[in-house]
Amino acid sequence: MEILDRVLDKGVVISGDMVISVADVDLIYLGLKVLLSSVETIEKLRGSPFTGPMQEAR
Amino acid sequence: MKLYLYGIIDSSDQITESIYGLEGSSVYNIPFCDIGAVVSEISPPIQGVTEGAVLEHGAVVEKLMADFTVLPVRFQTVIEGRDNLLLMMQSYYKDFKDNLARLHNKLEFGIKVIWPAEKIKENIIKTLKKGKQKDSESNSSQGRKFMTEKFEKYKIDKEFQAKADKFIKVMDTFFSKFATEKKLRKLKTEHLLLDAVYLVEKSQESNFREAFEHIKSARSDFKYLFSGPWPAYNFVVLSKQSALLTDSQQTDLLDKVTQDQMLVGADSI
Repeated sequence: MEILDRVLDKGVVISGDMVISVADVDLIYLGLKVLLSSVETIEKLRGSPFTGPMQEAR
Repeated sequence: MKLYLYGIIDSSDQITESIYGLEGSSVYNIPFCDIGAVVSEISPPIQGVTEGAVLEHGAVVEKLMADFTVLPVRFQTVIEGRDNLLLMMQSYYKDFKDNLARLHNKLEFGIKVIWPAEKIKENIIKTLKKGKQKDSESNSSQGRKFMTEKFEKYKIDKEFQAKADKFIKVMDTFFSKFATEKKLRKLKTEHLLLDAVYLVEKSQESNFREAFEHIKSARSDFKYLFSGPWPAYNFVVLSKQSALLTDSQQTDLLDKVTQDQMLVGADSI
């Protein structure tokens, strides 16, 4: 559980100026035209963060 | 091509060890100046948030930790193409460098302390009752009873918090001796007395562990969870200004990127 907590919730978060969602993938537009996607964010927005074996762990 | 980002390391050299990441993809370092972004190439659709994927990500970061100072990147950070990754590195370069310097030769440890909350509260209630003068309840009005109960509850909660503060202060005094930074969270739940992370110099690891064992033996009715060493997941601090470098600063940084660095990994694109 400790590793899940760290990998999912901690660490460097590359943030951007605005967030847009295209074709099921969250795209973050940085000022320097960097496109990043964060599936974790999408899962959180959907409200069902885990699938499979993790459901029991929560 | 999508690049899955695991972490930022304090080296622009290629990784000599074979490391495999998500979907069994090869992990390699894309240098930027004197640091690097550790990535692997993944093909869409991106794997969902599964326990296996999380563990694979964590395993890569831990392997990197053996040879480098690592800034672990949040799970599922995917960058569209190598050029965008280099631009991102350019914009965050100063932040990454500052963090890599600060976290060099340091390890993160997690400590959780669970205390018997019910028992602690029972003891508080007993102590408060002893010191309380007996009221003639029959003479109390409903309103007065309500207020008295509210006040009793307030006193119990206050004492509960004070006890928590006291225990945490004692424990933290021991741990802090061997730590350079810390983050403490008191009573995340009623039972979770302390949820803490400490940043410890590698040379102080054994002292820190000893301090934990000492604390652990002092209260056998408490439960303890010790974890680590971890890469510094909880201690990377990025400034808001990283993406706002001036044009001249960006040009200066781009000049530092050699032609060779620009070409590393390009053959696999």
